[in-house]
Amino acid sequence: MTVAAQTSSEKVRKRPFWTMERRDSLAGYVFIAPQLIGITIFVLIPLGLVFWYSLHEWNVLAQTFRFQGLDNYRALLADPGLPQVLGATALFSLGLVVLNMALALLLAVLLDQKLKAIAVYRTLFFSPVVVSLVAWTIVWSFLLQNNGGINAVLALFGIDGPNWLRGSTTAMISVIVVQVFKNVGLNMILFLAALQGVPRELYEAARVDGTPAWAQFTRITMPMISPTILLTSIITIVGSLQVFAQIAVLTQGGPGMSTTVLVYYLYQQAFQFHKFGYGATLSILLFLIVAILTFVQWQMRRRIVFYEN
Amino acid sequence: MTSKTILKSATALSGLVLPFLAGAALAQDQVDLRMTIWSANEAHLAMFNEIADGFTQTHPNVSVTFDSLPFDSYTTTLTTQIAGGNAPDLAWILETTAADFVNSGALAPLSETFADTEGYDIEDVSEQATALWRADGELYAYPFSTSPFAMFVNNDLIAEAGAQTPAELIAAGNWNWENAIETAAAVADNGANGLIVRDFNYQIWQNLASIWRGWGASPWSADGNTCAFTDTEMVGAMTFVHDAIFDKGAMPEPGESVDFFAGDAAMTITQISRASLLPQGDDAFAWDLVPLPAGPEGEYAVIGQAGIGVFSMAENAETAVQFLAYMSNPENSAKLAQFFPPARQSLLNAETLGETNPLLSPEQLENVVIAGISNGQVLPGHEGFAEIQQVVRAELDALWQADADVAGVMTSVCDRIAPLL
Amino acid sequence: MKTDLSPRMKVLVYGLMTVLLIPFVFPTWWMVTSSIKPISDIFAFPPEIIPSRVDLSTYARVFELQPFAQQYWNSAYIAALVTAGTMLFSSMAGYAFARIRFPFANTLFMVVLVGLLIPAEVTIVPLFQIFLGWDMINTHWPLVLVPIFGAPSVFATFVMRQFFIALPKELEEAARVDGLGRFKIFWTIALPLARPALGAVAIFTFLHSWNLYLEPIVFLSSPDLFTLPQALTQFTDAYGGAMWNVQLAAATMTAIPVLIVFIIAQRQFVEGLAHTGLKG
Repeated sequence: MTVAAQTSSEKVRKRPFWTMERRDSLAGYVFIAPQLIGITIFVLIPLGLVFWYSLHEWNVLAQTFRFQGLDNYRALLADPGLPQVLGATALFSLGLVVLNMALALLLAVLLDQKLKAIAVYRTLFFSPVVVSLVAWTIVWSFLLQNNGGINAVLALFGIDGPNWLRGSTTAMISVIVVQVFKNVGLNMILFLAALQGVPRELYEAARVDGTPAWAQFTRITMPMISPTILLTSIITIVGSLQVFAQIAVLTQGGPGMSTTVLVYYLYQQAFQFHKFGYGATLSILLFLIVAILTFVQWQMRRRIVFYEN
Repeated sequence: MTSKTILKSATALSGLVLPFLAGAALAQDQVDLRMTIWSANEAHLAMFNEIADGFTQTHPNVSVTFDSLPFDSYTTTLTTQIAGGNAPDLAWILETTAADFVNSGALAPLSETFADTEGYDIEDVSEQATALWRADGELYAYPFSTSPFAMFVNNDLIAEAGAQTPAELIAAGNWNWENAIETAAAVADNGANGLIVRDFNYQIWQNLASIWRGWGASPWSADGNTCAFTDTEMVGAMTFVHDAIFDKGAMPEPGESVDFFAGDAAMTITQISRASLLPQGDDAFAWDLVPLPAGPEGEYAVIGQAGIGVFSMAENAETAVQFLAYMSNPENSAKLAQFFPPARQSLLNAETLGETNPLLSPEQLENVVIAGISNGQVLPGHEGFAEIQQVVRAELDALWQADADVAGVMTSVCDRIAPLL
Repeated sequence: MKTDLSPRMKVLVYGLMTVLLIPFVFPTWWMVTSSIKPISDIFAFPPEIIPSRVDLSTYARVFELQPFAQQYWNSAYIAALVTAGTMLFSSMAGYAFARIRFPFANTLFMVVLVGLLIPAEVTIVPLFQIFLGWDMINTHWPLVLVPIFGAPSVFATFVMRQFFIALPKELEEAARVDGLGRFKIFWTIALPLARPALGAVAIFTFLHSWNLYLEPIVFLSSPDLFTLPQALTQFTDAYGGAMWNVQLAAATMTAIPVLIVFIIAQRQFVEGLAHTGLKG
């Protein structure tokens, strides 16, 4: 064969070191170099530094930086506020993921119809994604005031709206809803694409068999889009653990500490109370939680995801 | 050439060259000072830059820039800069965080340089005004703004509601909190809103000091070590506030955004500098400025302060202190008095203040501003204030409900902050 | 799914979608209308869906209070730079991880993925110190370098890798047989085929950079250098009280252009996202 002949004559002519394979590997390293070096400098080294800070008590104003060993971690375990923070975080993430995925799926199903002007609806549902985050949150903070837009509209129907941002439950609901409406468009598009990738023959066959619509959904649609469901749930959960700006603008973690999620608590400790050492400790905790959750979800893919092959 | 000639020539030459070298050396010593401030107001900035230019006249190698940081995250942003090693040379400091900065050792001492500056007249700076900014007798920040809290009143709304105006109450010697709330409630019943404690918003609880001082209450003991929320004075004051909100409807409930200066409320407690927000033209209303009402413990005054400090870690700390001395000298203090009531007694009179506060009458200036500054107590502050503020705020959220148990909430506040005090 | 709906079902679907549309559209509508109301009308009761009094001066005031045009440009050029840089380097990395066999490829990919797990608040202080050491504080460098090379671009790399894995190999194999070097194959064959994925990456990346809030606040202190989200929080009066209507005018100007671009290009937008190969 020509290729083999070429290769052996190449081997004879060139130094045996730079084989095609080796050159390819080199190309591989060169290709990933910018990303890898960038990750090292801007992610891994800072992560190491954060861990280093977590072992110290760092008073910025007094300029003291004292090594404390694992004292910050002991303080973490003894922190009376932490259980509530973790509870709020779990509640927020769970509420957000469930609402987001359910709404995204519902919208995708509705948009998957051949109806006139469906593209208009699709555009409008997606529009909050491109609106500036700060702008969106500021607008909602207006609307959620006790005498703001939402309660005013409710009053037109004779409903006495609650003080949204001042009750612990309603505040949590508000923050979840604001975040969901902002971003659900993304998941909606992903689900829509997945839905449109389901072969029509499967539905045809089911209809011929007389399978009712709901069963078609659960037995055909859901399994076929399960890879997308898994992926979006991972992305959504990881994203939910990083939501900061909305809480900062809407509730500042209140009322009480009912909406103080972990990332906001971290910000308070480090940037508001100037306890950078303890803040770093909380950062490490947040990182571990995200890592473990992602790992668990990824491992569950065999159980959840239905592959045709 | 003889050695004498050589020496002469050398000296002559050096006489020519050395000034050049010295000049070059000085010119290379460019000093750029940076001061963080929380005002983005153009007029303020124009004035600051004017003062900075004045300093550059006598110190040609020095330039000063003013960084406006957003007010509500000011201390946080400042601390982040310091933590990242990018501390400014000078910074404005809120009275509530004064204790943290002054006691941290981060600020450079000022007294010596001030005393050494020609024409500074340090005696003129009132002792009381600088109390908050001293530690162990040394001055660490200069209080450039001492602003009394007072009450702006919308007489139009009060007349509409048929209630007694504060002016009438004062004339009758009945200007106390009971009557003030009566009037506020009447206006609220009539469709508008009653009393707004500006910037309180159910979050900045320390601004309620403008009310609770009337009961002689205080959040913690004078030495700052014991929680005083559970003392009878504070419980009494908070019960009064709670009833005013929920029973009488005299103050808007949480989550309601009401703006006095838009003409929507009967009264507001705020600092006098807000007078510039009073509307003109079509939206104008008949207004008045009165001192705070008397409480059960009598008359009182509350002031807010802002100080400027120099960070000792800054490269050019010495030059920065010199600039601060210049900025707070009598001449420039008079300029600053346009916007920031000064700590200098010589400037605390109705004429000087009147020139720069044209909206206020001499009586108002005398009764409210000058009396307030002379007799006023500063808003409460404490070391580690950021955390204490947040913890108390979280606990007090339980108080802002109709059926709250005031004494119970106060106890839980003390429980939470006792370890922090 | 179903392609033929009964008229009753159609009405139901339209009705449901219209009701669901309200929370998506109302805030944007309210933002635009409030930006031209006089400040006291914003909280008026009953709420005015169509403003009765119009005050267009707020838009002019936005430019008076801040170097807003400069800030707009800042946000725009930074986002453009970041998008271009990310598209280049992430597609390279994604391609390599997908197509090229080299030692430790999987391990290195895992290392890169760590970037997905770290929120900005966690690493902001060490990053601040790194950039201070490089004398880049109060410049735009951190806002450009970190998104291109750091955590935010990892998602882009992930997407590109997914796409290239799913791409049929025939064209590239043929090119390799012809003796084309790896980079040429990447540049002339693989990348042009990756247009949908690149489009999606461009959109994500642009939006992310456009919306950055914490980083500009931490790294920038001169108003000339501010970006839009940062500028939005600066519209306060002399004493820190928010000037609502001016702030909303600025917010509208921040949101509307992107929205208009989106509406025009929404088909490509949506299709790009749909074809990222993220289906799994």
